[in-house]
Amino acid sequence: MFQLLGQVLQQQDSEIGMILNTLFSLAFIVYLFYAQKIQGMTMLRQIEVSLRKIKRYRDKGKNVAVEAIKDYGKPEQDPTPQVERFIEHFMIEPVSMDPAGVVQKLGSIMNVREFTFKQEVVRMAPEATESQRNNLENLLEASLVLNQFYKIIRHYYLMGKKTMNIYIIMQIHMILPMIIKQIEAYSAALQAFRDGIPIGDSVGPIVASKLLNGAPTKLVATEMMAGEIEFEGRRVIVTKAQGPGGSVGKPGDAIDFLVNREEGKVKMLITVDAAGKLEGEEVGEIAEGVGAAIGGPGVEKYKIEKAATENNVPLYAVAIKQGMEHVVAPLVEELMEATDKAVSSVKGLILDYSEEGDTIIVAGIGNTVGVGQ
Amino acid sequence: MADSDVGPLAGATQNWTTLALMVVVGAIALASLYMGFTNYGEGNMETAFMYILIGVSGFVAIGFTFFKAKPATKTQDGPKEVEVVTTLECPQCNLKRVRAFQPGDYIFKKDEPCTRCEGMMTVTRINARKDPKEKKD
Repeated sequence: MFQLLGQVLQQQDSEIGMILNTLFSLAFIVYLFYAQKIQGMTMLRQIEVSLRKIKRYRDKGKNVAVEAIKDYGKPEQDPTPQVERFIEHFMIEPVSMDPAGVVQKLGSIMNVREFTFKQEVVRMAPEATESQRNNLENLLEASLVLNQFYKIIRHYYLMGKKTMNIYIIMQIHMILPMIIKQIEAYSAALQAFRDGIPIGDSVGPIVASKLLNGAPTKLVATEMMAGEIEFEGRRVIVTKAQGPGGSVGKPGDAIDFLVNREEGKVKMLITVDAAGKLEGEEVGEIAEGVGAAIGGPGVEKYKIEKAATENNVPLYAVAIKQGMEHVVAPLVEELMEATDKAVSSVKGLILDYSEEGDTIIVAGIGNTVGVGQ
Repeated sequence: MADSDVGPLAGATQNWTTLALMVVVGAIALASLYMGFTNYGEGNMETAFMYILIGVSGFVAIGFTFFKAKPATKTQDGPKEVEVVTTLECPQCNLKRVRAFQPGDYIFKKDEPCTRCEGMMTVTRINARKDPKEKKD
């Protein structure tokens, strides 16, 4: 056929050859001037497909939150308008032009945010228990994140469509696969927070609970519990967020309180937390290191580092590796098994770097949803 | 799941009916072009022109579908929920029982009396059941 096509095109003088030549020249000219526009249109189509998917996730997040509030909270009125108001909530970070004291300012703003969220949930679900309220708060936060993702991607999509500027379209198109991965992770969190199922981030509190092994605990800071165990002649103080409702607590405050209470007796501080794995690493791999293993905006990390530095306590860390898709999704088997390995790792660190009679603090960092103490 | 939806030609290729139709139209268009050039070679100008017109129109229609067809996706109901299981163990006789997760379960909850001894069974694990279709990372 291509041979025939070649013959046709070579016969310039024929009627059909002339038409085809004109068509090819026209196509070349069109492509020369409109190639970028065609590329932009193709990318916009792909963004549109993803946007529809994100919208479904956002809507599901909102519906799950409304249904859970109705189930647990037994409100007198339909909570939908309150949920819609909640998912539009925002936080303005403090100005950092003068960095002195910015952590305290951020901490203060975050405290107000937490207080506001708790009050909103109490109003929406008056009959819910404390654990259920904590889970509902986390569920609403997941819905809020899904809503924000949807609005940001829609913003770039509409802006790209309006201007047909390839650079605006490309900005969102390039990072779309990563964003979709994050959105899928947050949509998996809806099931976990609605039902109170442990999530990937709960590995730290699970390790802490396994170390405590039923030892009595008491409240040491906001939503933070601590208990003591004896291990190979060492006194080990274990702290974690108060479960089983979804909460990360204030580990910085708890550690600061415990270190100061012990008045220089603490010889070692170990933090256990979930950590992002690199591609190629196995889910549930354990890694040991130094420093404070804690995520978030940095306020709690600052408090831990400050308490450790002021009291000259060495900081050790145990990380349990997991993918972005595992962090807020219901806990997978590999991570559940990894908690046993992490317990062994913590015990190994204690034996290697402390002596009999020493006091050690172990903090299980993360969301304690579905994990008791 | 995500990657396939944002891949090339995401909108049009999501719908298998559209895709099948496009393959059929493409095949017809290709055959028409072949017939057109063959007829041209034989000197049947009018027939050749008709066939080539049909062929070109077919390819134009396919291109148009890629850009204008309404995107359809596989999942219309949003994300799927995973199956979660609870493992209970008796600390006295080590009896182990696995059942479906029930709201209210949490790790280290003393849940129900042991069926083999006098002890209370404790929830030791709660985890999502592995999807057999899930590929390894």
